[in-house]
Amino acid sequence: MDESQLIARVRAGDSAAERALYDAHVDRVYRLAFRLAGDDALAQDFTQEAFIRAFDRLGSFRGDAAFSTWLHTITTTVVLNGLRKVKRLRQREADIDDAQAVGVTKRESEPDLKMRLTKAIDELPAGYRTVFVMHDVQGYTHEEIGAALGVETGTSKAQLSRARAKLRIALADFAGEWTT
Amino acid sequence: MTDQHEDPKFEQWLKNAAKAYHTPGATPRDEMWKHIEEARRKRHVIELRPWLRWTVAAAAVLVLGIGIGRWSANQSSTPSATPTASAGTQVASEIDSLATVAYQVAATQYLSRTETFLTSFRTDANRSANTARLARQARELLTTTQLMLDSPAGDNPRLRSLLEDLELVLMQISLLNPEQNGRDRDLITQSMNQSNVLPKLRSAIPAGPVPVRTEGAL
Repeated sequence: MDESQLIARVRAGDSAAERALYDAHVDRVYRLAFRLAGDDALAQDFTQEAFIRAFDRLGSFRGDAAFSTWLHTITTTVVLNGLRKVKRLRQREADIDDAQAVGVTKRESEPDLKMRLTKAIDELPAGYRTVFVMHDVQGYTHEEIGAALGVETGTSKAQLSRARAKLRIALADFAGEWTT
Repeated sequence: MTDQHEDPKFEQWLKNAAKAYHTPGATPRDEMWKHIEEARRKRHVIELRPWLRWTVAAAAVLVLGIGIGRWSANQSSTPSATPTASAGTQVASEIDSLATVAYQVAATQYLSRTETFLTSFRTDANRSANTARLARQARELLTTTQLMLDSPAGDNPRLRSLLEDLELVLMQISLLNPEQNGRDRDLITQSMNQSNVLPKLRSAIPAGPVPVRTEGAL
């Protein structure tokens, strides 16, 4: 059965078809959510929310683009909005912690490459980080990224290039790793 | 052509190194599917909750009653006006406002329940209340909050801002860790105090008994 038939069956209320459609796409959605969130509980929440929205709105899917493109548009919206909320929440908690822990020395930066790289990626501006993770980490094409984020392909390429440039500066201490 | 900023060696190295960035484990597909099914079932249940049906019906009767009353009053005081046109416009406008009133009734009920819950949470914050129960209640209210945000009630900017604040607080409570209960509760209480969420919530709830106190509320 091809995907359009599966979608038609989901629209008709076939729960087995819902599960089949979910099974076909959940890995990619969850992996993207996890890469962007860096936390299993959040990644699960975002994945669930993305599928709930997708099933609820399947009636508005016209089939102009691939279902996976449409689903990834929903996923990136859910993840990026969710991360903004989490950031607000953590900022409030951090403000409280800072107020309580006056004089506590902050931890020095980690010399380890993996941790430095993680930190550098985390600190990229949200738009750069999203494009970098989708392209260089998860292997999405610029066309897929453009469609999911609602931007031009050229914008995606430009943001990737700027993300890499920032990472190159942030990881300058490790230049020997890629020049040899 | 290679851009001056491009460095294929660095890009290849970066791609390889970045594979370790937030590496996901196996997809917990069955676990997530269970939650998806549950959440979708709950949404349908919420849409059909008896109190919501009754409040919508009560609001409909109320609005139509007011509409008919006003229309009759206008009929007797202004006989020279074009009665059919003005009455038609008025009834249409009242019917238009019916949906809004229904959402306001639902919003008021929800805000009252949330106020009660948060007040009780803050009062009990230093006592050994049941964390699991609190987290469960917060999750239920959180689901309603998210539904409210997606409903026409969320179109009101003041209500939307309040709902977003409530969403954060309820999310914190729903994630309460029983092992660090005291510290987590203190943080949540401080966060509630800082964001002034309870006073904002109370000022959004109009005076009067819950089912009818909607006029001018939101």
